[in-house]
Amino acid sequence: MNSPNNDPLSRMSLSRRRLFARAGMMGAAGMSLPAILAACGGSSGGGGGGGNSLFFENWPEYIDPSEDDLTGTVERFMAASGVEMNYAETYNDNVEYFAKIQPLLGNGKPIDPDLIAPTSWLVGRLISLGWVDKLPIDLVPNAANLRADLQKPAWDPTGEYSLPWQTGFAGIAYNIEATGRELKSTEDLFDPAFKGKIGMLTEMRDTMGLLMLADGVDISTVSTFDAAATAFDRLEAAKNDGQIRRFTGNDYLNDLSTGNFAACVGWSGDVVQLAVENPNIRFAIPEEGGTSWADAMVMPKGAVNRDAAAKWMDFCYDPVQAAQITAWVQYVSPVAGVQAELEKIDPELAVNPLLFPDDATLARTFSFANLEEGVEAEYDARFSAITGA
Amino acid sequence: MTISELTPNPVNSRDESTEPTRRSFDPERLGLGLLLLTGALLVVVGTGMVTGVLATLALALTLGTVVALIGAAILGGPEVRRKIAPYGLLKPGMLWLALFYLAPLVTLLRNSLSTLPSRFAVKADFDWNFGNYSTAFTDFGGQFQRGFGYAAVATVLTIFLGYPLAYVIAFRGGKYRGLLLGLIIIPFFTSYLIRTIAWQSLLADTGPIPSVLNDLGFQPILNALGIMDGDKILNTPAAVIGGLTYNFLPFMALPIYVSLEKINLNLVDAAKDLYSGSVRAFCKVIFPLSLPGLFAGTLLTFIPASGDFVNQQYLGNPNTSVIGQSIQNQFLVQNNLPVASAMSFVLMMIITVFVIIYSRFFGTDDLA
Repeated sequence: MNSPNNDPLSRMSLSRRRLFARAGMMGAAGMSLPAILAACGGSSGGGGGGGNSLFFENWPEYIDPSEDDLTGTVERFMAASGVEMNYAETYNDNVEYFAKIQPLLGNGKPIDPDLIAPTSWLVGRLISLGWVDKLPIDLVPNAANLRADLQKPAWDPTGEYSLPWQTGFAGIAYNIEATGRELKSTEDLFDPAFKGKIGMLTEMRDTMGLLMLADGVDISTVSTFDAAATAFDRLEAAKNDGQIRRFTGNDYLNDLSTGNFAACVGWSGDVVQLAVENPNIRFAIPEEGGTSWADAMVMPKGAVNRDAAAKWMDFCYDPVQAAQITAWVQYVSPVAGVQAELEKIDPELAVNPLLFPDDATLARTFSFANLEEGVEAEYDARFSAITGA
Repeated sequence: MTISELTPNPVNSRDESTEPTRRSFDPERLGLGLLLLTGALLVVVGTGMVTGVLATLALALTLGTVVALIGAAILGGPEVRRKIAPYGLLKPGMLWLALFYLAPLVTLLRNSLSTLPSRFAVKADFDWNFGNYSTAFTDFGGQFQRGFGYAAVATVLTIFLGYPLAYVIAFRGGKYRGLLLGLIIIPFFTSYLIRTIAWQSLLADTGPIPSVLNDLGFQPILNALGIMDGDKILNTPAAVIGGLTYNFLPFMALPIYVSLEKINLNLVDAAKDLYSGSVRAFCKVIFPLSLPGLFAGTLLTFIPASGDFVNQQYLGNPNTSVIGQSIQNQFLVQNNLPVASAMSFVLMMIITVFVIIYSRFFGTDDLA
């Protein structure tokens, strides 16, 4: 997830989901309104030593909120732990956020939030710059529930700095009404029949990841710029020919549902949501391979509320709580055991292959290697020259 | 407007100063000196060249110049006061400009000649790196060309649309003048961004405008003219230029209206009395008198349009990228302050040269 989800259609589908979720939510949480009120009243007195408050800056619409008579994860956490939590949906864009924190962390000054959830490549960059602290993993017993494939990932080789928040895939999203056929391969994006109707993401690792995989490059081990040269040339040629209509962020959803795009590179969770309203919208992980990404929680250097952050992570890594979040955000949960819990809330969603991919799908998805600074600079420069910015 | 216009004529003042003994103390020189000193001090502080104690001293000195000027006015006679008054009046403006215009400009210039020690470095090192300017031209030449090209076409289009509009409202509007002017301004109640994004829906492939054009069979003609690309308008150069034209039309129409409205219609009657036809009266009387408005409108349209990136962002495609977008990208996405600063400087220089040449041809005498 790389930019806010503004699409009204997907919002509608979310409210539908919440109907399914309602019954299970209250039961699972075992919560009542008086308990919440008591927690809110009591939490202000504590504090001290930075132990009892927490500030988490996360992407918009990336957690189940308290609405109507539903209790959101943040409120359930506050009631259960007594921690006063400030959950802000102000993390809009990786590069924009990085530009914002760079002058502070770069000068050795702390930033306000105790936790942020950047996309994995930025987590890797923050780790190599030394701008994040190690997580208090020993205080997070539920961290043992982390999915096996996400342990010690490429962006955090020792696994000490980050815990994934949500994960997902980038693949081909298409409108079958516009394409007239099923799409299975990245090559389909270069089909002359779709000239001027193809979208690509401004998120470099997803767009280039797909093209490089189509080129036979294993992106999970790539370390040189040369390995991407052919894919970049191909992207540039497609852009010059007018094959590519636009490079987009999350706004590809509008172009896809209005038919401006026949097909584009897209994110799995978005398409699951959009497909509920518009069955013509399909998602495929290309035969050549798709990318898998993760947004991971990290503690910026100098964050004070370590204990509260540990409590929060422990809470969210409880499969019962994680299932509530999954039911709402519809991405792939990093927590093992969510599927069993989700079955109790929304059986239909619990068998959705885009939320719970089988082994064959997982074998076709690759996460982008953590690029060395100089190499990454070359990638970024070439990519931005092509995307026309 | 320059300082010499505001200050009393030096010849006159010398005539009036009948006391040759006071030559050693020239209030005008004092006023000018203090003004320039203030400007220089604020630039030095504003650009961060001095910090800590030195900066405090500089600010104290700035305050001192204000006190000195007031002191000179109180201690000196009416003659002195009269002479330094213009400098005193210029001071607030000078303070403002020095701190919020000159200081950032100097910082930008310094940055444009600096080098980043590492990719994510917070501060660039100043080392007379003119390479940033060659990068700006070699890597972004196309963006410069398109930026100015689209702005120029859009400016011409706003003239062709805005002039008749202003003309009709000024001369034929009658009692509806106010209403019609209001209608031009009303779109401004909505955010610029929202208005531009609204065009995305209108021009979408399945949206109302392309559908109607296709149904009426205009598609081959528009394709031949290069306005449509196949069945689409959105994400073409035409859409970008169209967006600019739409967004900047009021900036053209309103100044022209102001010029036209001031014209005394008796002049047209006089021209007709002298056997001039309507067309000739327009060409010889109305059009020349409306030139100041046209001049102002052109500047108000062309300058912001050449740096605009919103229209390209939402209505263009990757092959229509413009300079404003590249600068934004270099500043905020690539974190490449030196190159971004060099690009901004080149953009400003080109616009300045354009304005100087343009004002030579059209003159700004009537523009007060």
